[in-house]
Amino acid sequence: MTRYAMVMDTRRCIGCQSCTVACKIHNELPLDIIYNPVTTIGPTGTFPDLTLSFLPLICMHCDNPPCVDTCPTTASVQREDGIVYVVDSKCVGCLSCIMACPYGARQHNHETGTVSKCDFCKDRLEQGKLPHCVATCHQKARIFGDLHDPDSEVSKLVKNNRTVQLLGELNTDPSVFYIY
Amino acid sequence: MSDKHQNWGWMLAVDFFFAGMGGGMLVIAAVVELFGGGTRMSLLGNLLGPAAMCIGCGFLMLELGKPLRAWRVFMNPKAILTVGAWMMSVAIVSGFIYAAMAIPLNLIFWREWAILGKCLAVVNLVTGLVVATYPGVLLGRLKGRPLWVGPGIMALFMLSSLVTGCALHYLCALLMPVLGTLLASTLTPASALYFLSVVLVPVPDAAIWRVLPGGIAALLLLQLLLWSGYLWVKQSGATAAEAASAQRWISGDLSLAFKGFMVLGTLAPLVLMLLPVEAAPALGAVLVLLGGVTMRLLTIRGGEDRTFLPGEQKFRLRLPTGNEVFLRKNWR
Repeated sequence: MTRYAMVMDTRRCIGCQSCTVACKIHNELPLDIIYNPVTTIGPTGTFPDLTLSFLPLICMHCDNPPCVDTCPTTASVQREDGIVYVVDSKCVGCLSCIMACPYGARQHNHETGTVSKCDFCKDRLEQGKLPHCVATCHQKARIFGDLHDPDSEVSKLVKNNRTVQLLGELNTDPSVFYIY
Repeated sequence: MSDKHQNWGWMLAVDFFFAGMGGGMLVIAAVVELFGGGTRMSLLGNLLGPAAMCIGCGFLMLELGKPLRAWRVFMNPKAILTVGAWMMSVAIVSGFIYAAMAIPLNLIFWREWAILGKCLAVVNLVTGLVVATYPGVLLGRLKGRPLWVGPGIMALFMLSSLVTGCALHYLCALLMPVLGTLLASTLTPASALYFLSVVLVPVPDAAIWRVLPGGIAALLLLQLLLWSGYLWVKQSGATAAEAASAQRWISGDLSLAFKGFMVLGTLAPLVLMLLPVEAAPALGAVLVLLGGVTMRLLTIRGGEDRTFLPGEQKFRLRLPTGNEVFLRKNWR
């Protein structure tokens, strides 16, 4: 069974925000909605031993998503391949999924009244293409694929590198892994 | 991005207040019906219980981004909100049917069916308890909200629902003869609503009305202790995020409102309930209601604190809010 996952290689990310812009443009997001911000951590340390790193954030498409069970209208759906998305026509804008998500991945679109979020560009996946953010990243810091395929790049990266899932203690089992 | 619409607002807090209070009123009425030896709570109180829930539903619908799709909240049986919606619907219908049994109209053909009254009381007890408690269950399951996560918030919501329900029942018993007199003086006997002046009379002297102020005082003492303990546990024994969230209530931006709730909404009415002065319990009951609203507003505000990821707060602070001059001029 396919499980789509993304690996963020923070050693390669330079915080250019190209992924953020690509997502915003291609999804035609309103002004105040960003699906995948890239945060800056640092600079930390004492000169000359300073470090600065960047953390691309995105919907974690958790295997145990707290947002799906909390949705009273079944607008929040988890597919068999792990992608979590919102059926806009069913959403009533109760914001319970926003309150349930510990990653801040969902946003209330005040123009439509409904909630929206990253869906791993599932329409592009059906055409055999990669999500916009992955295709745009010139540093190859974002790698996307099937975690259950042992020959996929994501599965090899997770197996062979030191990776972490954000807020793992909350038992959400995110599908996004960070190499650090 | 702007923080507006990314958290629940005051309307949900008011919904929680009315729904919880209504649930508490149903529970109390049911307990008295089942174990009160033939006593019933006042007609006004029994009517206001489900009516309060209806008001809560109204605020809930107004809070939605798509109010006209509100019927969809009944769809997912795994969601706490769906369970609450169904239970509230049953409670409202059952509550009104039960309350109507005290109205001497031929239209209310079931008013003499004592067994129905008992059955409805059981339904009201169960559904009222669920409605009184489910907001706390909903909040307690939200892992990303450090102030709310855990079972403690469920007990606090249930307790507040019971104490506000008791307080409004007490006020209704006092208001009954006042309203009855008012209606009798303004309506003619031929008026369709004149019968209300006949039923809105002083409630019969029963033990429940004598013990109710003491019962409210006991619940308020419990509330005082539970809230103090809850914040102490959050501030001292839990994660850094929970400690920071609790600190807002103890010495931060929410501390004044919280102290107001504890002193004016809990301690003062506790004392007033026990004073042997005629108007004191009534004043205390009003303060309890104001305290209940304050508590829920504070709790919703406290939920703004989330498990922020590294660098996230700094990132969000740098984003435009949408009200900047250059945005208003060029993008709208």
